Amino acid sequence: MSLVLNDVTVSRGVGPVISNVTLEIKPGEITTLVGPNGAGKTSLIESIAGVIIPSAGSVVMNDVDITKFSKRKRARSGLAIVEQGRMIFPSLTVRENLQLTARTKADFDEAMALFPELEKRINNNTVLLSGGEQQMVVLARAFASKPKYLLLDEMSLGLAPVVFMRLLPVIEGIAKSGVGVLLVEQFAHLALGIASDAMVVTSGRVSYHGSPKKLTSDAELMRKSYMGE
Amino acid sequence: MLVTTFAGLTPGVFYGIIGILLTLMSQLTRTVNFSQMAVGMFGGYVGMTMIQKLKVDMWLAAFVGLIIAAALSGIIGWIIATWLPNAQIATRSAVTVAALLLIVSVSSVLFGANHSNFKPLLQTNVAEIPVAGVKLFVSQNLVVLLLFALVIIIGSSLLLKRTMFGVRLRAISDRQAAAELIGVNVKVLNVGVWVVSGALISIAISFMPNTISNDYISFSLLVIAGSAAALVGSFKNLWLALLGGVIIGVLQGFVASLPAFAAYKEWVTFILILVFLLWNQRKEVWDVAR
Repeated sequence: MSLVLNDVTVSRGVGPVISNVTLEIKPGEITTLVGPNGAGKTSLIESIAGVIIPSAGSVVMNDVDITKFSKRKRARSGLAIVEQGRMIFPSLTVRENLQLTARTKADFDEAMALFPELEKRINNNTVLLSGGEQQMVVLARAFASKPKYLLLDEMSLGLAPVVFMRLLPVIEGIAKSGVGVLLVEQFAHLALGIASDAMVVTSGRVSYHGSPKKLTSDAELMRKSYMGE
Repeated sequence: MLVTTFAGLTPGVFYGIIGILLTLMSQLTRTVNFSQMAVGMFGGYVGMTMIQKLKVDMWLAAFVGLIIAAALSGIIGWIIATWLPNAQIATRSAVTVAALLLIVSVSSVLFGANHSNFKPLLQTNVAEIPVAGVKLFVSQNLVVLLLFALVIIIGSSLLLKRTMFGVRLRAISDRQAAAELIGVNVKVLNVGVWVVSGALISIAISFMPNTISNDYISFSLLVIAGSAAALVGSFKNLWLALLGGVIIGVLQGFVASLPAFAAYKEWVTFILILVFLLWNQRKEVWDVAR
C-alpha cells in the first residue's frame, strides 16, 4: 500500500519538463523532493494531483491506477495537495475553509487542533490573515479531508523561516498519523531533516534518490546532485 | 408626467432583476451572461406559441417556458464549464454573445414574424394612489416583481452565507481550480447555477409588463438595460443592481412623458452606462494626471 510513480514523464508545451521519475511514497513517511528552480518539481507534483496528465508512465495509489482520474476523483480517493502560493479561499472564513473538506465534526476538530492559534481567528475571512496563518489554514484544510497521501508544494514560499519552522513539526505529526507525505521544498536542509526518503531533481531528471541523511551530511554530494553531475 | 414616470417603476424593477441575475452569474460563474434575456425570451415565445396554437392554459405554458429557459441556460453553462473551465471572463462572456445571436437566429426561424406582445400572468392593479390630482396605479406585476427581486437578493445571500452548498459556490467563485483539487464538484455546481438563472429569468418574464418589448430581438437586448443596472452595483452589490434598474426604468418613464424626447427614452441606458464608467474612472484619470 503506497503511492507509486512508475517512470513518469511530464510534458508542457515543447517537450518534457521532467522525465522517467520512479518514486514510492509510503504511508507514515515523508519523502522530500528538492532541486533548483525550474527543475520540474511542481510539474511532477501536479501530475500526481491530476492538474496535468503525465505524457508517459503511471501513478498508482494503493494498487489503483489513478493516472487518468480527474482532480476531483483523486481528491475523493484520498489525495490532498497544498499548492504553491497559499491557495486559501479568500472570501471564506477559517471555519468555512475547513468545512469544505471536513466530512465530520471530528475531522474538523482534529484539523483545528493542529494549529490552536487559529481558534481566535476562526470567524475571520482568510484574506485578513497573515501569510503564515493562511498557510496554516491550507494545511489544516488538507488534513481535514483525512487524506491517505499529502502533497506539499513549496509551503515555505513567501514565508519567514521562523514561520516555516512552526509548520514542520505539524507535517511530521501528520505523517506519524499514517499519512504519506511528499514534501517539495526550497529550504532543503530543513525539509530533508524530517524526511525518510530524499530525491533531488535537476533539469527534469532525477540526480539523486536515497537517504536524506547521506545527502545532508555530504556537502559535495548535495552540490553534485543540485548541479546534476 | 407623474403617471408615466411612475409607470417606469415596473420595467425598472424588471431591469433590476436582470441586473441581479447578471451580478450573481458574474460572481459565481465568472461570466457576464449576455444570453440571460435570450434564454428567457426563447422559453417565453415557446410558451406564447403554445397558447396561440395549442390553446394551452397560460400558467402551463409559462411552466413549459420556464423548463425550456432553464434547460437552454444549462446547456450554455455546460458548454462553458466543459470546454472553457479555466478561460478568462472575457472569453467565457464572448460565448454567451454567440449564444445570444444563435438563439435570436433560431427564434426568427421558429417564430417568424410573430411579434406579439407577451401577456403578463397578472393583469390587474392592486392599488390606486392619488397624488397631485392624478391616480398612480400599482399593478400586481410591480408588486410580484418587487417581491421576487427581494426573494432573489435575500435568498441568495442566505444560501451563500448559511449553507454548505453556498460555501462551495463561494469557493468556486474564489478559486475554481483550487476548489476542484479539494474535491468540489465544480462542473455540476456551475451548470446548476446556469439552470437556476435561466429558470429565474423565465419567472420574471412571466410578470414582465407588456409595454417593454414586442419582438424577440429587442426582448433579448433588454440584457443591455440589465447590464447597466448591474454596473450601478459594480457587478458586486445586488441591492445597488436593483436600485440601478429602478433608476433606469423611472428615468425612461420620465423621458417618455416629454413629447419632444419620448423617442429617445432608450438612450437613458446608454447615458447611464457612460456616466457610471466615467465616474468609476475618475480616480484613474486623477492618478494619470498626477
